[in-house]
Amino acid sequence: MTRWADSLLAASAVAAIIAGLVLAGPAVTPGGAFAWLTGNGDSQVGTILLQVRLPRLALAFAVGAALAMAGAALQALLANPLADPFLLGISGGGAAAATAAFALLPAAALALVPALAMGGAAMATALVWWMARGPLGPSPTRMILAGVAVNAAASAVILTLLAIAPSPRLPGALAITMGSFAAASLPAVGWLLPYLLVPAVLLLHHGRDLGLLAVGEESAAALGVEIAAVRRRVFLAAAALAGGAVAFAGVIGFIGLVTPHLCRLVWGHQPRRLILRVAVAGGALTVLGDLVARRVLAPAELPVGVVTALLGVPFFVALLRRSS
Amino acid sequence: MVDGVTLDVAAGRCLAVVGPNGAGKSTLLRLLAGILPARAGTIDLLGRSLRTWRRRDVARVVGFVPQLFSLTFPLTVRELVDQGRAPHLGPWRPPAEPDRAAVARALERVHLVEQSATGMQNLSGGERQRALLARALASEPRLLLLDEPATALDVRHQLDLVAVLRELLADGVGVVLVVHDWNLALRLADEVLVLDHGVVRASGSPAEILRSTVLSDVFGVSLEVLHTADGTPIVVPVGRANDASPALSLPPRQPGC
Repeated sequence: MTRWADSLLAASAVAAIIAGLVLAGPAVTPGGAFAWLTGNGDSQVGTILLQVRLPRLALAFAVGAALAMAGAALQALLANPLADPFLLGISGGGAAAATAAFALLPAAALALVPALAMGGAAMATALVWWMARGPLGPSPTRMILAGVAVNAAASAVILTLLAIAPSPRLPGALAITMGSFAAASLPAVGWLLPYLLVPAVLLLHHGRDLGLLAVGEESAAALGVEIAAVRRRVFLAAAALAGGAVAFAGVIGFIGLVTPHLCRLVWGHQPRRLILRVAVAGGALTVLGDLVARRVLAPAELPVGVVTALLGVPFFVALLRRSS
Repeated sequence: MVDGVTLDVAAGRCLAVVGPNGAGKSTLLRLLAGILPARAGTIDLLGRSLRTWRRRDVARVVGFVPQLFSLTFPLTVRELVDQGRAPHLGPWRPPAEPDRAAVARALERVHLVEQSATGMQNLSGGERQRALLARALASEPRLLLLDEPATALDVRHQLDLVAVLRELLADGVGVVLVVHDWNLALRLADEVLVLDHGVVRASGSPAEILRSTVLSDVFGVSLEVLHTADGTPIVVPVGRANDASPALSLPPRQPGC
């Protein structure tokens, strides 16, 4: 059953990527793309595919995978099915820093926005950690409370900045708060992918520990888990993944929240089994979300965060029905 | 808080820790498991200070059966018992045949093979305790620490527990047992530690403990010691200490007993 499900997941991811490549716009038709692949298409198709669409797809997939992994790790770590990087203020901190940088920096310094966004996410992470501290590392409840507080503060900062931002910068600032892959480029992707690899591997490394933690701290400690260290590393890895996502794509909600739940329906709850699979599922969902965002109101482009937010509606309705 | 406790557990020996509520029994157990750090004093495991051991290496040698556990997501019995192999597997290695065999042996020992696919949330309290025991057994420890392992067990499964622990003791596993049930302690233990307010009030063989008045003093109850046909002592509380009318009155002992 698992092998069948895994094959289906892989096939869906490939299908989503292909759809993203050939269906994203009128400039390249499926027939034209196929012709180029077989060596008969014109070079303009190739340029669009390789320079424009491929980086965007790679960014969307990487961001979706990162957010989904962060969400799965945080839900396991905090034993809370509603945990995700957004809830814990990490995305908010990154977005606040990015919005501030974008709204206020001179044009020549705008390349610094991703780095400043990561700094903002890191600061929000540190703040949540510090506010929630305890003897065995921060407790799950305190982290959620601290995260909500930090998120509220970040939202206030963002709204203030949007109110005072000079009007030429406003569309870009809004894109940060609502998510967009329009800034994708090969160098950006080349930077982001290796950066995301480190925390991703760290999460895989602690997958088993997360499963042990879920049955109680004392049990986990007795089975060899260094609880404080694992909590710190997993939280930092999730924060790094979310920070990287926000820095290059703005705030994209619900991927981190919903993807783990969808995957649990098929693969169960063990974090060790979920982490890699949510990454692929999150990537595929985000690629599809971006495709919808680009096509549904074409030629205008919806922010991808709007599309993913619409994912959240049926999700919460389903949760409500299940809990009644 | 636990203060000034000295004890020694050798292979194949059973130490029972008894004491009133709040005496520090569970705290002592957690100190031995390395779950709680000791602020003073030393704990040696296999001749080396516990402080020098890595957590995972301790977990390979010491099995801990908690009294309670939390369940944040659904888990089958087998998945829970599989967790007992974690100290041997590390973060990356998937379970292999020896691991599956250890899990199967553990499930058999606690008679939970038929329920191995049942969700933990659907088990009775006693079945859950047996599953927790199986998880500790799956790691094939050399020292087993049990915190109130029999509280939810019916009489038959209590006897099964005694049998399992006796087998483990015969295999050379050391056992430390925190129990409220004195008779369980007396039946299994080679040595009994009586703890009160974090301090050792007495330690010795079951016979020595019974000859003294420490149980009466510490628990504030008056006791009668009876004997079964094969000479096993059974301790029965008969009332509060200094109580003119005991809560229970027992018939006088028959001649020849």
